Amino acid sequence: MNLISGVDITSGALTAQKIRLDIVAQNIANAQTTRTPEGGPYKRKIVSFENELVKRAGGSPLQTISVSSISADKAPGQAVYNPQHPDAGPDGTVQMPNVNLAFEMVDLITASRAYEANLSVVKNSRTLAMKTLEIGK
Amino acid sequence: MSVIGSISPAAINALPLKGLDPAHKPVIAAPLPDGMRLAQPAANFGSVLEGLVSTVAEKQATSVDLTKQVLLGNNDQLHQSVIAMQEASVAFSLMVEVRNKLVESYQELMRMQV
Repeated sequence: MNLISGVDITSGALTAQKIRLDIVAQNIANAQTTRTPEGGPYKRKIVSFENELVKRAGGSPLQTISVSSISADKAPGQAVYNPQHPDAGPDGTVQMPNVNLAFEMVDLITASRAYEANLSVVKNSRTLAMKTLEIGK
Repeated sequence: MSVIGSISPAAINALPLKGLDPAHKPVIAAPLPDGMRLAQPAANFGSVLEGLVSTVAEKQATSVDLTKQVLLGNNDQLHQSVIAMQEASVAFSLMVEVRNKLVESYQELMRMQV
């Protein structure tokens, strides 16, 4: 019994956008990190989404989304001349992470708007269901 | 020569007039198998209602469980918990509507003159 139709799809989308938001938070937080467990500066992470088919009994197969992978951005970071830095190389330059705050802000706003759109779907589905129950009154 | 005059009486007689023939009534719905009585229902009404109520209870239990997981910090899927709560609320409203209808029909029966 699924009263609010499409709620599985929206739930998947909300989860995916939330992961994207978390990754943006991680990227911004590590914008100055020059030392990571893998060695070298922090690499910006990118989330990629994939389509997932939801099969349901007696209904049409619908498509939801999920996060397929979180991969590192391969673009090189800036080399900043800073000989006082503990991670500076022999030539006095430090490899900085390839995080661009402008890109991250755009990603953040896109993710939060997408999340809001999905929330509106849930809200409207619920309103429709409640309105339908008022038929009998 | 007019168009109507061109139709010969033989052609009119050849047209199928089953719709006007009282022996050939148009079939709107398939007749019931045994007069007014429907075939035996697959499940009785009580068990259908019981299933509805237990589904609603199950939904509420799921919602409570998800909310507890979020509140305890084991899970950060806040939206899933809220969506489960909303779904449980809609399911409960549906159950209440069904109950209201049932009580209404029962009272209607009690008011019946014998």
